[in-house]
Amino acid sequence: MRSAAKYEAAQSPVVLVPTVDRVLSAVLRHNATLLLVLVFCAVAVVGVFVIRDLQTANAEAQNIYAVSVQGLREIGELQFDAQETRRATLYALTTNDSNLQLEYADQSRDADRRVTDGIAQYMHQAKLPAEVLLAGRLTHDWANYLSIRDEVLASILEGSTKEAVSLDLSGGVPSFERVRQDLNEVKRSYDDQASQRLATVVGTSRRSAVRLIGILGFTFLLSSTAVWAIQRSRMLSAIQLAKLQMEFVASVSHELRTPLAVLSSAADNIADGLVEGKADLKKYGTVLQNQSRQMSGLVDQILLFASTEDRKRRYVLQPLEVTQIVDALEASTHELTHGAGFAVERHIEPGLPQVMGDLSALTQCLQNLVGNAVKYGSPGRWIGLRAFRGHAEHGAGEEVRISVSDKGIGMDRSEIPHIFEPFYRSPRVNAMQIHGTGLGLSLATRIAETLGGRLSVVSELSVGSTFTLHLPVAERERLEMSGVGSQPNSSKQT
Amino acid sequence: MGRLASLLILVGLAALLFAAPEHEAASFGRPSGPEQTLPTQPLAIVVNRSNSVDDLSSTELRRIFLGERSHWPNGRRITLVMREPGEPERKTILRDVCQMNEGELKNHFLHGLFTGEILVSPKILATSVGVRKFVFNVPGAIGYLRLSDVDNTVKIVRVDEFLPEDKGYKLHVEVRPGN
Repeated sequence: MRSAAKYEAAQSPVVLVPTVDRVLSAVLRHNATLLLVLVFCAVAVVGVFVIRDLQTANAEAQNIYAVSVQGLREIGELQFDAQETRRATLYALTTNDSNLQLEYADQSRDADRRVTDGIAQYMHQAKLPAEVLLAGRLTHDWANYLSIRDEVLASILEGSTKEAVSLDLSGGVPSFERVRQDLNEVKRSYDDQASQRLATVVGTSRRSAVRLIGILGFTFLLSSTAVWAIQRSRMLSAIQLAKLQMEFVASVSHELRTPLAVLSSAADNIADGLVEGKADLKKYGTVLQNQSRQMSGLVDQILLFASTEDRKRRYVLQPLEVTQIVDALEASTHELTHGAGFAVERHIEPGLPQVMGDLSALTQCLQNLVGNAVKYGSPGRWIGLRAFRGHAEHGAGEEVRISVSDKGIGMDRSEIPHIFEPFYRSPRVNAMQIHGTGLGLSLATRIAETLGGRLSVVSELSVGSTFTLHLPVAERERLEMSGVGSQPNSSKQT
Repeated sequence: MGRLASLLILVGLAALLFAAPEHEAASFGRPSGPEQTLPTQPLAIVVNRSNSVDDLSSTELRRIFLGERSHWPNGRRITLVMREPGEPERKTILRDVCQMNEGELKNHFLHGLFTGEILVSPKILATSVGVRKFVFNVPGAIGYLRLSDVDNTVKIVRVDEFLPEDKGYKLHVEVRPGN
């Protein structure tokens, strides 16, 4: 991911790595993290469903109690009170005592008031058309029964027992039977509603259980896969690191062995007296000098890489002219490029703002890029140094870019994400017997990042590569460009 | 055989009549002496609210309370409601409406029932609340209540075009301490 962020993907039609490749690369390299995120998302989604199911089941259960169970209890009380109405009326028939008959009449009327209230409440609660119809019929039948009951009571109180019994048998019994049937129908309606709701609750609970089992199984499976992937990733990383270190040791050994062999051979020749004459001695001295410098440079590079490992190397940042940087770069690499027969083409956009940086570090960073251009720039043998203005990433104003281009072997897209990794050496380059430690680009990147900039690359196989150093504009220049006047901060340490 | 049964019934009724307490027979008529100074309260004649009758004359009221009139104008049978013997309200009705004492009233009803001139004997209730409830329950009922015991479950009828609150109203019951 780190190296993927270090190159630009869509700067030109010659895009090295498209977005899809980047994503795929990230997926492959961070599969364990993605799996864990996937597990979390899946658990969260299913958890939301399960919670919703539980809430539904709870609401249904409450609804069952509030409507059906409560309704059944109320209808039971209604049935009892309706029976009480009739029972008290019939009790009045069993006595001739008017005072007692009145008490029974009172009991009957009390019970009928409760029934009437209950029916009114049921009618008020009735929502479905069938319920409304039933409530209307019940109200009508109950009113009919009460009118007959009143007549029966009156006859009883008048002392006309025979008339009361006759009236009750002819009207009271059938009308009360209708009321009883209506109440039974209401009860059945509540029963049906309760059954339906209970079925809903059972269905919801079953669905929740299935979902819970599913999510547990899914979580277990994905967790196991994630753990396996993490372990495998660690193992592969360890193997890769060991391999890289082995390659580094081999590479460094090889890089050191060549000058050492030359040094040893030259020393042997001098010791054996094979070198005679001042001219030969001078020639051997030059060889020894060059090889020593090469070894010293290699050791310096390794030490510098080790020192930038924590990216906390302190540089003295100061505003620098871009021409100053390019001049220093050309001076330091002139011998290298000239010796290798490379043509260097330089182009600096006029009016570039100053950049913040450390001249020595910037030169070192760019030297690595030029060194690579020389190393991999054949057969073009051309190096382009270009400095120009550009827009910084994330809309953070302007920046200055210094690019080093070559017309060499270029790189394959699949290599791009790895070239900034320390010790990385392309198999293709190894096959071509091009020597190196795999530290140059990694070191250059670290320097760029430490200076507040970054490094990007655009490359095409067999066409060439362009490495660009992005540097922040010096604070004073920014202020001037934004039209805000302020005192420049001449130097700064990071 | 039929004559023998009638004779037995007459003998029984006579026994009941003679068994009535002596003081009740003595208390009929308007109170005299110190009792006249007791405060009084109107005694309302009440009927069922469904009864269309609003006004009764003293004569009609007497005929009703003596069982001589058995049906209302709408054809509904009249059911007479009385308080138990000895109650002040009953005394007022006996004195001012029936113009009989307790014994004469009993004889009247015994005779009427026996001869078939009276179809139903009065219903005797223990309390004014009972009277009120009875009148409320029975469409053809008529009874009497102190004005303070009347509520909207029953209807007051005028007597000789007077309501109980009116000055010329004749039926009043004595208010004794504790009544």
